[in-house]
Amino acid sequence: MRYWHKAIAWAIASVGRLLAPLLLLSMTQFAPATVLAADRPAVDYLRDVRPILARNCFQCHGADDAARQAGLRLDELEPAIAKLESGQRAIVPGEPTQSELIARLTASDPDVAMPPRETGKQLAAAEVDTLRNWIAAGAPYAKHWAYVKPVRPPLATVSDAAWPAGAIDHFVLARLEAEGLKPSSPADRATWLRRASLDLTGLPPTPEEVAAFVDDTRPDAFELTVDRLLASPAYGERWTALWLDQARYADSQGYAPDGPRTIWRWRDWVVEALNANMPYDQFTIEQLAGDLLPTPSPAQVLATGFHRNTQLNTEGGVNLEEFRHAAVVDRVNTTFAVWMGTTLACAQCHNHKYDPLSQREYYQVFSIFNNTDDFNTDEPTVQTAVVGSDAEFATAQAEVAAAQTVYDELTRQRDAAQAEWEKNAAAYDKPPKEIVEILAIAAADRNGKQKDQLADFHRGLSEPWKAADKRLSTAKQQYDQVATSVPIMRDGTPRNSFVSIRGEFLSPGEPVTPGVPAAFHPAPADVKLDRLALARWLVDAENPLTARVAVNRLWQELFGTGLVETAEEFGTQGDPPSHPELLDWLAVEYRDGGWDTKRLLKLLVTSATYRQASQVTPELAARDPHNRLLARGPRTRLSAEMVRDQALAISGLLSTKMYGSPVQPPQPEFGLAAAFGSSTDWKPSEGADRHRRALYTRWRRNLPYPSLVAFDAPERNVCSLRRMRTNTPLQALVTLNDPVFVECAQALARRVLTEATADDAARATRALNLAVGREATPREVARLVSLVALARETLAADPTKANALATDPLGPLPEGVSAVDAAAWTVVANVVLNLDETLSKP
Amino acid sequence: MHPLTLEVLTSRTRRHFLRDSAMALGSVALTMLDGDGSRAATTTASAAHPADAVADPFLPKAGHFAPRAKNVIFLSMSGGPPHLDLFDYKPELVRRDGEDCPESLTKGKQFAFTSGTPKLLGTRQKFAQHGASGAWFSQALPNLAAIADELAIVNSVWTEQFNHGPAELLLYTGFPRAQGRASLGSWVTYGLGSENRDLPGYIVFVSGRSLPSAGKVAWGSGFLPSVYQGVQCRTGGDPVLYLSDPAGMDRGLRRASLDALAELNQIEAERLGQPETITRIAQYEMAYRMQSVVPDTMDINQEPAHVLAAYGAQPGAPTFANNCLLARRLVERGVRFVQLFDWGWDFHGTNAGEEIEAGLVKRCQSMDQPVAALIRDLKQRGMLDDTLVVWTGEFGRTPFREGRTKDGKLLGRDHHPFSNSMFMCGGGLKRGVTHGATDELGWAPVEKPVHPHDLQATILHLLGLDHTRLTYRFQGRDFRLTDVRGEVINDLLA
Repeated sequence: MRYWHKAIAWAIASVGRLLAPLLLLSMTQFAPATVLAADRPAVDYLRDVRPILARNCFQCHGADDAARQAGLRLDELEPAIAKLESGQRAIVPGEPTQSELIARLTASDPDVAMPPRETGKQLAAAEVDTLRNWIAAGAPYAKHWAYVKPVRPPLATVSDAAWPAGAIDHFVLARLEAEGLKPSSPADRATWLRRASLDLTGLPPTPEEVAAFVDDTRPDAFELTVDRLLASPAYGERWTALWLDQARYADSQGYAPDGPRTIWRWRDWVVEALNANMPYDQFTIEQLAGDLLPTPSPAQVLATGFHRNTQLNTEGGVNLEEFRHAAVVDRVNTTFAVWMGTTLACAQCHNHKYDPLSQREYYQVFSIFNNTDDFNTDEPTVQTAVVGSDAEFATAQAEVAAAQTVYDELTRQRDAAQAEWEKNAAAYDKPPKEIVEILAIAAADRNGKQKDQLADFHRGLSEPWKAADKRLSTAKQQYDQVATSVPIMRDGTPRNSFVSIRGEFLSPGEPVTPGVPAAFHPAPADVKLDRLALARWLVDAENPLTARVAVNRLWQELFGTGLVETAEEFGTQGDPPSHPELLDWLAVEYRDGGWDTKRLLKLLVTSATYRQASQVTPELAARDPHNRLLARGPRTRLSAEMVRDQALAISGLLSTKMYGSPVQPPQPEFGLAAAFGSSTDWKPSEGADRHRRALYTRWRRNLPYPSLVAFDAPERNVCSLRRMRTNTPLQALVTLNDPVFVECAQALARRVLTEATADDAARATRALNLAVGREATPREVARLVSLVALARETLAADPTKANALATDPLGPLPEGVSAVDAAAWTVVANVVLNLDETLSKP
Repeated sequence: MHPLTLEVLTSRTRRHFLRDSAMALGSVALTMLDGDGSRAATTTASAAHPADAVADPFLPKAGHFAPRAKNVIFLSMSGGPPHLDLFDYKPELVRRDGEDCPESLTKGKQFAFTSGTPKLLGTRQKFAQHGASGAWFSQALPNLAAIADELAIVNSVWTEQFNHGPAELLLYTGFPRAQGRASLGSWVTYGLGSENRDLPGYIVFVSGRSLPSAGKVAWGSGFLPSVYQGVQCRTGGDPVLYLSDPAGMDRGLRRASLDALAELNQIEAERLGQPETITRIAQYEMAYRMQSVVPDTMDINQEPAHVLAAYGAQPGAPTFANNCLLARRLVERGVRFVQLFDWGWDFHGTNAGEEIEAGLVKRCQSMDQPVAALIRDLKQRGMLDDTLVVWTGEFGRTPFREGRTKDGKLLGRDHHPFSNSMFMCGGGLKRGVTHGATDELGWAPVEKPVHPHDLQATILHLLGLDHTRLTYRFQGRDFRLTDVRGEVINDLLA
């Protein structure tokens, strides 16, 4: 409370007696809830002043030169205190009564009052007071926090020095102590392992892994376990799913025809890169500009598929340039969203109203991306080896080339002899009727098809030619087994770029040359500003945003909400961080520690903050409903991909096959084609491909896989940095009734029937243990045992139903398992797979 | 102990629990609305915190002002019906049929399949005036002509987009690219919630064996929480995906299994105190009710024969007529927004089904009768005062012959962004009026032009929502359906 006394004394002294009653009133209202304000100055420009100015003034008196009125600019100190055309000064530091800003804000004459009445905006008295106090204090401006390069803050001091396991916990605990809160006790080991396994690999731990970890007495058991999880190939698959949202990856082109696109080999590149823990700066450079590196490797060229995930419009009669332009715009917007958490898109049509980003600067970045060859098609592409087949690919490529040479030569020889052969062909070679008919036509009168048919027949009479033909087709088949194509970025002839007036591609304004927004660190002057230079600029140590945005996204995945909640917007219109020092500490740690993602994740999941139990009291739930203060463990519903992958894993059906062409798990027919496109028929995959991880499910933009969409997967038309988490009845229908999940329940039923033979209680225990990774309580077991008894009784009366429930769609029962038992346990397994606890990270 | 969990522990029956927790959840959502009822992004329950499990995103909410209509049935004619052969009668165009299209009109403009100097194409359909209002209809629309005095026809619609996908995206999401914007129906359910908790608030049907050109984005939720996306119902199999219990599981077993599930979830709620667990229990109960309510609602066999006949509906067929009847049944039960996409209105003259003479008459038969029957049916049941019916395609068609088919036998028109006709009917609208007009060739509006943003603003207005205040904050900006434009068409308001 000492702070408040000081603040009131200060406020009364500076603002005078007239305002004192008002301030006292606001103190009594807000003091209890605002304890965290300790140590902060009474009026903070970024926290208190800028939002008022941004909302009411910046539209006409902000960074936008084009919209500026009366020559007044209020978002920076110098122009704000300069003498205006009128001779007045908007702000006279220290002198609110001489500041025209205050006079205008409080004027009653509608001709001079600000904001203009027609805007409908008006400042509350308290807001004017804030501005008055700020001017009285000297009108101290500050740069938006996110545009200032982070420096490593000193560790926050805490009272309970025993709690922190590392630096992260110091910052979290300092905030909790300031709020008068205590952290929760640590979660038990089983809970932590389930949480960390899901977070790091997207899959639940097996009961055996849980048991081993619970009994692990090694002092570094946690670290060793995290290392095991991070080394699992499943790690790359889990984190790739997240990157695909940002890359707007899909297996179709978008818009009306939504034709298929083959770009999955780029997705596999991401899996490989993440599993290899490729440093984030390299990960960035290769994807944005791998092709521009000196002597790029095939993998570095392949990496540029990132920006070939843009949509195409192949509908008839489109203006190709319009959609080429749209793709470049999307690349600009996506690049700034993904790496800098900055909505550059605002500046596409006009200067940014709130952040220092001009429309001209937007098109300067645009011009960097405006030189690639692609023109509203998937070309250019490269042929690439599928994962793990580099050697076979090289061999197959050489064999195709060799076979082609032989084939071409023999074909040339045969064709040269054809005219001579035709003279006596009918006599010697007994050609079939259609060849006889073609032979009857004069050579000059034959159509293309007839010519080909005849040439093929003639060539086929030669054994050496037949052998060469066979060799070539075999070589191509072998090549196709190990090769695929992927769209890539390739610079062609540089294009002139212009500011697009109002963002319209048909309205070119002033010409622009490559550049980066002046609000940030400059690009090196001695290097051509191309995609490669831009990529390096993004990961430059001077970049204030890239590291913060990256660590915030990792934090968001693990803790449910980012330290900056608006993960996609770090500008002045975004939310301020809940723990600014922690964000900066993590950003510097990441950037200066070699952009080592696995190392950062390890710091997060071994922190005391992450290890807390997620029990919540009503008081805490009311005080901090979204756990922004982190006084408990991070409990969230699983992601769309995890919901599927976990059900397959628990039931034992999950295929661990990695990489390759996308697959089609069963989904209901809609009986619809894409507009002007091919049929949207979904031929379900066979065998193990029915049970692959969600990462490999074919992603059609116009008709995405419904069970993923139900759990908030985005459409992937544009970059997405944050998924909502909803809770709906349609989700319940998916996990209760989607045949994929019914199949999982059937498999889980068979699993417990064969793995736990003692009695129903043992089976129920096993089922729960498989699903949620902890020991079931007697009450829970008893409830499931009574359900199975009821189900068995009901189903025994109707063998047809029992058989259907036990086998449709999974298939025939194994030897020794009765249909009634399997069906009754399917009912129980269906419940177990639908538990709130199963669908949640604990 | 969390108060919601206490509710669980003290409730003796499932019914008590559900009633009480629904009330509790409702009050949670209500407390998130701000004082003046305006719906800035941060004030709606679900938008308040995206990381939240949404307690009840469809809780009915008051709009910005008193609504004139409660529900919408939006009839989307995918492909762009030839308005000059249906509503916008141009005798001068007929008189100048076959003449070169004036270069002053085409100069500097791009068309999808036409370049050079095309020939003007007068309609081959007979037009007549109908009703007390004297609105013009072609002979292809006899049933709609018969209810002329119910309709508000707009003959002055224009758009910037001349390709199907972008034009539909602009019409249905307010923006001509698939860039994560929310659809009209999503905005409406986000703004108003829904009156029926056992059915989705926004339901979509697709007929004509093809998705609309905008794909699923046409009913997607974009940046809004995904609960607000349209639920696409199928005309075969489960109308809502995964509605049926697994083969062999009867309703008794499903009930028993959900009871066990609820009990185990309650144990967990007791242990952890997480409010989301309580929400999930409620969602499973809602799913259970949907399992009986949805099939019952979708069962048009329950309709008397004369109603089926009036619509031309045949139970089991994947037709637009069936969907019109279903739309009425859904709105009757309080579903907020029903949208029917009907594919096959792209009259280029490239095949016998898509030419503007007999082909058009035949195509209209499957639309004209059920739409007129729907409007009559709504009126007869007293629902038309509360229900807004909207009929439109994504753009009009050219007053000239399409380039590719200009020398063929079949007559067709190219995509035309500069003029189009549509009609609305019902809640809060004038009846029997024709709004706006095009020039003598039907090229472009000469009075009262209406842009898709104006149409969107008007629909929202009729529902009690101010299109400038229905916003959602995303990427640091308050987005709205109408972007930075849109004027309510006040002339049409009753």
